[in-house]
Amino acid sequence: MNWLAGAWAVFKKDLRLELRSRYALSTLLLFVLAVTLVVLFGIGDAPLTGEVETTLLWVVVLFAAALGLGRAFVYEEEQGTVLLLRLHTRPSMVYAGKLLFNTLLVGALTLVTAGAFWLMLGLEVGAPGLLLAVLALGALGLAGATTLLGALLARAGTGGGALLTVLLFPLLTPLLVSVVSASQKALAGVAFAAAREELLTLVGFAGVTITASVLLFDYVWEE
Amino acid sequence: MAPLASAELSEKERPPRVNLQRYRWVRGAVVAWMTAVLAGAFLLKIPRINILEHTARNLYFHVPMWFAMMAAFVVAGYHAAGFLRSGRRARDVRAFEAARVGTLFGGVGIVTGMVWARFTWYQSSGLWWNFDPKQTMAAAQLLIFGAYFVLRSALAGQPEKRGRISAVYLLFAVAVMPFLLYVLPRQMQSLHPGAEGNPAFSEITHPIMRVVFYPSVIGFIGLFWVLYTQRVRAAALEIRQGMMRRA
Repeated sequence: MNWLAGAWAVFKKDLRLELRSRYALSTLLLFVLAVTLVVLFGIGDAPLTGEVETTLLWVVVLFAAALGLGRAFVYEEEQGTVLLLRLHTRPSMVYAGKLLFNTLLVGALTLVTAGAFWLMLGLEVGAPGLLLAVLALGALGLAGATTLLGALLARAGTGGGALLTVLLFPLLTPLLVSVVSASQKALAGVAFAAAREELLTLVGFAGVTITASVLLFDYVWEE
Repeated sequence: MAPLASAELSEKERPPRVNLQRYRWVRGAVVAWMTAVLAGAFLLKIPRINILEHTARNLYFHVPMWFAMMAAFVVAGYHAAGFLRSGRRARDVRAFEAARVGTLFGGVGIVTGMVWARFTWYQSSGLWWNFDPKQTMAAAQLLIFGAYFVLRSALAGQPEKRGRISAVYLLFAVAVMPFLLYVLPRQMQSLHPGAEGNPAFSEITHPIMRVVFYPSVIGFIGLFWVLYTQRVRAAALEIRQGMMRRA
């Protein structure tokens, strides 16, 4: 099987399974909405600065991702389909397929969370294009790191739960810092050039995590 | 210790071996070297700068801790990669012990930094922690080590799997670390030198400080090496003992 076709097949399988049950998507969306509602209700009328708004936004997304993305591999272990995948595909194809699926999932999550914040807080977005770029890059970096660690924990047999959060969060500190500061700039409505450093860091982070994941995934996946 | 059946063990199972003579030689050299560094650090005259005063001497201790921690991290990453390639238990033991000793240096680095900042930067505010970017990133770095240990304890009893999975995590952390320690702190406002493109040392740094600082860095890296070798030796003995009990 050629590489692209293999990766695409893994992605399509995951997408089809997800669309059949809509389990991950609906759980995560409800989680995000519930948390957003509770947090914003708790804050009440207190005026928020851009810093607080964007930090809250990304913390919600981060927790949702840490809760939901581990499932992609735990599911394979539970259903006993790991061997089948291992037989028919090369490890990098599995990683690429799952990464694509997870990116899509996190992308949807970020959009919904940002939408909820926009609606409930009455955010004024100065530079919508920049915000979209930041959300997309953030989702990519988040999915890149989470996919490998999800596979790691699924292999360890302790999939999901608090352990994934513990492993994930310190690694995601650089992502969180850049993405918060870039979203803040997007809310303030600056030009792309003014957020260049953050955008470059995000691109670099996504590149580094995905490259490292591709190199390391073989050792996680093969027995 | 009796020359246990370790010769009968496969290459993969064999515990690490340490060259005892070299270890003793390095230990002696480090003790002598550090004695000289400590004497220099406390006795040599340095210029008195307002607020900073004698706390400037902390430069000789606070900063080398990070060098030693980085060295530990590099050693741990090197052996983690070696374990993935060879599957030899000795490499896994070395990676783990290096990470342990590295955590110690990181912890001391954080504490020396906190005390230093408390009496200089935040002198009148009485703060112990002020989310300086480098401080925060160093704390995140220590959390990564902590996560590595938690991951290992979750897999206790499955040495092969534990070695492989924790090695992957450690190498993944190695890939992310430059962002934590070098990229981000330099983009943000910070009181640490090296922020926003400043040089870490400037021409106003007194030459005598360099004379002590560089040997101190070498000395603490040497100290890391001694502690690390010692831990590896202890771990090897423990493994042998466990085997003898089973035999």
